[in-house]
Amino acid sequence: MHVMRLVGLLFFLLAAGCVGVERAPPPTGAPPAEAAAVEPSKIGSTGQGVAKVESQNAKTPAKLPAEQPRKQSATPSSGKPGTPPLDLTALETRLKETKAIGVFTKITLKNQVDDLLSQFRAYYQGRVKTTLAELRQPYDMLLLKVLSLLQDGDPELARAIVASREAIWGILADPAKFATL
Amino acid sequence: MNKGVKAWTLTMVMMTFFIGPLRAAEDAALLKDMTSVIALLGLPCGQVVSVIKKGDNDHIATCQDGNRYRVFLNTEGRVVATKQ
Repeated sequence: MHVMRLVGLLFFLLAAGCVGVERAPPPTGAPPAEAAAVEPSKIGSTGQGVAKVESQNAKTPAKLPAEQPRKQSATPSSGKPGTPPLDLTALETRLKETKAIGVFTKITLKNQVDDLLSQFRAYYQGRVKTTLAELRQPYDMLLLKVLSLLQDGDPELARAIVASREAIWGILADPAKFATL
Repeated sequence: MNKGVKAWTLTMVMMTFFIGPLRAAEDAALLKDMTSVIALLGLPCGQVVSVIKKGDNDHIATCQDGNRYRVFLNTEGRVVATKQ
């Protein structure tokens, strides 16, 4: 009789576990449609973003660092009203905490972020002959990689990153703000 | 004695039910992690189909296309994938 009770408890726990597993997908069920809807425009905007920066650079190559802060202050207010833009620290924290990306992937991404920051550092120190427009390309590529990793597992974070994309670029492209990183 | 046997049996049954699926989920997560790492490093792979753990932060990943990579954390804290 006692064993029967234990077996009953076991199956109850097992069923509870299964219910928990089944409950997990719905939160990702609704957002991916939005994320998928965001993705093509995001890819399109990347190309446009690079093209825009290149065309701006062609017109006024020397003024770009000075123009970026204005661009950054304008962008967050014109972003999506629902998702407030992130700063780099908040982005880092949320990326560290997300369960959508594995540990090795997080370390690899961190390595690539560090590499990009090294490129910016070298640019500001005049150690490399490159332009901000050229640095925008690896920045966009890295952001796309992050978004592709997050869009299914953590669409909220992916949307937040998309919303703060220009704000982050504004920090990177401003020597004064970059120095505070 | 009889109670001890029952408790042991129950523990084993619970381990079979709970640890099995848990390990499978962990394995699936590791496969996904390795797939993402190899893709991020720009190496040809497709999907990782199996992973052998060699040590702490050191794995051998076998890809769908037949490529095999040793994925490990080097002394500088970088994730490195070397073709085997």
